Parts: sequence; C-alpha cells; structure tokens
Amino acid sequence: MRAKLVVVVACAGLLLMVGQARAHHAFAAEFDVNKPLTLKGSLIKWEMVNPHSWFHVAVKEPDGKVTEWLIEGGSPNQLIRMGVTKNTVPIGTELTIEGYRAKDGGLKAVGRNFVLPDGSRLFLGGSAPGGTGGDKK
Amino acid sequence: MNRRSLVSVGILVLVAAVVLSATIAAQAPASAAKAAPAAKAAPAGKAYTPPKTPDGQPDLQGFWTNSTYVPLERPQGVTKEFYTPDEAEEAIKKAAAREAEQTEPGTTADVHYDFSQFGLDRSQSTIAKSLRTSLVVDPPDGKIPPVNAQGQKRAADRAAARKAAGGQYDSVQNMPIGSRCIIMGGAGPPMMNAGYNANYQIVQSPGYVMILTEMIHDVRVIPLDNRTQPPQGVRQWTGVSRGRWEGNTLVVETTNFNGKNAFRGASENMKVTERFTRVADDMIDYKFTVEDPATWDRTWTAEAPLAKTGGPIFEFACHETNYGIANILAGARAEEKQKAEQAKKGSN
Repeated sequence: MRAKLVVVVACAGLLLMVGQARAHHAFAAEFDVNKPLTLKGSLIKWEMVNPHSWFHVAVKEPDGKVTEWLIEGGSPNQLIRMGVTKNTVPIGTELTIEGYRAKDGGLKAVGRNFVLPDGSRLFLGGSAPGGTGGDKK
Repeated sequence: MNRRSLVSVGILVLVAAVVLSATIAAQAPASAAKAAPAAKAAPAGKAYTPPKTPDGQPDLQGFWTNSTYVPLERPQGVTKEFYTPDEAEEAIKKAAAREAEQTEPGTTADVHYDFSQFGLDRSQSTIAKSLRTSLVVDPPDGKIPPVNAQGQKRAADRAAARKAAGGQYDSVQNMPIGSRCIIMGGAGPPMMNAGYNANYQIVQSPGYVMILTEMIHDVRVIPLDNRTQPPQGVRQWTGVSRGRWEGNTLVVETTNFNGKNAFRGASENMKVTERFTRVADDMIDYKFTVEDPATWDRTWTAEAPLAKTGGPIFEFACHETNYGIANILAGARAEEKQKAEQAKKGSN
C-alpha cells in the first residue's frame, strides 16, 4: 500500500463496540483483521443505502495521484430518524477513516471510525444536526 | 491458525457475543434510551379505550418498535417474573454500558463499523420498556420448551444439508438469507426485535390490517373476513396470515410457512397466533403463541410490547448483493488462492 494508507498496529484509542453482535453479515468474512488501515481523504459520495451505507472517498497519494476508496458504514435509517441528511456530510468533507481493508485487496474497507478534522467522530457528540441520540416523533 | 479458522473463530465469537449480549440485555431496557413508555405487565386493555378507525376497528395505526433489552428467555440465576423498577433501570444501564464497551483493536471481533456512530445501539432509539425478566411468559419459568426428538432430527438434517452444499462462502446460495437481503430474522410472525431498525408501521383499511417491517422491508397484508387458509401447497416466507377482532384485540393466526426461514428451528407447519391490544396511546400489548408439535411438545407464549416511535419508515431497499456479497465471495476466493500458493511453495 502506498501513500496515505498507514498501517495501524494497535490503536488503543479506538472506541470500539460490542454492538457488532447485531451485524447484518459477518464482517470478518468481508474485511481482513490483518489489514488495519487509516485513510485520509475527502468525501466524493455517500450512498445512504441499506443494509450498509458506503462512503466514496478520494485519497491523495504522495505522487499526487488520487485513488477512490469505498468505505462501508452503517445502515442510515436511524440517522435519518435523528435528523441526518446527505447535507449533514457535504461533499468534500475531510475524513480520517480507521478500519480494515477488504480481503480481496481492493480499494475497499470497513470504516471502524470516521473522524472529522476537529477530532470528533462522525455522527457522535452532537456533530450531526439532531444527532443527539433521540428519535424524532 | 489459518485464515479460514480465524474466520470460523470470528463467527463463533460473534455468536458468543450475541448470546452474551442477549443474556445481559436480559437484565433490562435502556435508561440512556429514549423515554419510552414504561410498560407494566398490567392486564391488557382494562382502563383504556382505544380510538377507532373510520370503519370502526380499534385503531392500531402508526409507527411502532419492539426494540428492547429484555431477552426472549429468562437469564440463568433469575427466578422471578418481574424486576422492580429500580432493578429494571439498573439492568438497562448495565446493558447499555455493555453495548458501549470496546472491542480489542486487531481482533476479529473488532472488524466492523462502529454501530454507535450510526445510531444503531439501542440506547439511541426508542425502546419498549418492560419490567419482565423474559419475553417468554409461558412456560412460567420463562424458557422455551426443550426441542423434541423430531425437532432435533430436523435440525441435524438441516445442518447436514448445509454441509453437503459446501462452504458458506462457496456461493451466494449458501449464504444466510438475511445477508442475501431475502428476509431478516424478526420479520415474523412472530415479530421479534431485530436489534436495530426494529420498527414497524401498521395501516388499517376496511377488512384489512397491513404490517410493514422496516428491516429488509417485508409486508404482511392480513385479511379480516374469515376467509379460509389456502391449500397446504401454498407456502410463503412469512406464512399466510388471517385476522379477526375479539373485542379490542386483533387476533392473527398464521400458517403455511415455507420452512426456509425457520423460527428457532420450527417446522414449516408451525402455527403462530398473535394478539395485538392497544393499551395506551403509546403502547400495544403484543403476545404471540407458537404451536409446532413437530418441534416442541407444548405451546409457548411470549409478550413483546410495541412502543410508539417516530416515522416515517425509511425504505430499506436492501441491496447487499451489490457490494457485501461480492466482497465476501471475492475475499473467500482470494484466501483460497493464497492458501493454494502457500501449499505449492510448501511442496516445492
């Protein structure tokens, strides 16, 4: 892997959940625990689709070449219920993504954490309008 | 340990986590969670008169969720049917905290996106609170009856058939039906909490009740005109449902399952009887009884209240095949290739 793909050996700062128990499919079958990574890039497109949304991110490599990565995130339904729209994460948003690369070695990864430039995690800590953890009734 | 073994271990870990999560969840509903209706296990429909639809049916319409921290079966060591309110709140806190616990970076269990960042942990959505220690109310011990010999043989036969079909990631057809976006566990009947997006919409029209399940977008259209069930040869993923009103309670009987989405190992001849009673503006008492002599020697009944929640329901339009399935199959082929190359090197 070239460029901004940085192998993370052990990132103790990751905030991790046991919530994967409710995963829709076996993530370990799709992504490789032996290929942790950190990507930095700007958002090209967010597919707000089910059962998992996909973030298209442009990652600039040292030689100036830009590669497009697809990053798997969660179902958007609850976010929508909490007031999140596509405009919440505008195209061009700079993201740092910590995750694991696809087993087939393609430019795909699961986004363990989506981190904004100010260090906050996407959709957490009130970073999203209405995203305070409550359903809108 | 090779990669495949790692995956297998990972799956085992996931299964264990599900069991653990369910066990812990057993202890209560969420506190950090939305202030959902605090359903007491009071007798249904005593002091409340539900509104009526224009055609005179008790009105069940709206958006509902059965999200809960109460487990289906009573946890080991718990002997009572109900927690006190304080115990229930404490159990919810523990369960919510458990959901927020970290997994170890670099471990198979860590390979996933962060559910909390997408609002998918239960504490970020409405939950249907209950003081019950288990959803199962009959048998009185809160446990599903043991599977009988016939049911055990069916389970063994199904496992053998899966094994004969090859590895889970050998083909699309071998993968779980939920992963293939065909139907999600919990679509029902019986309607079981799906873990996240556990939402439903009920719409009534003269002679019909419609129940939309958010996860993978399944719909049941239930006629209320006493029509007979179709012949046994007519079988569907969610069975065939027929409904009737008994006072303010909607009673729905479902048979004619296709057996491909077996509920806890049941046979295709399972019969599910559901009872919906609106007991408050924001709560439906929902009970279901499962009857399948080919699996259990006695019927069993559970109570899983539906709490009012926000709408509308965003379309699910599950399209896993466009990415996830392809990625999983490609990953499995890449692993096989790598193994073959290693084996070749080893033999040289």
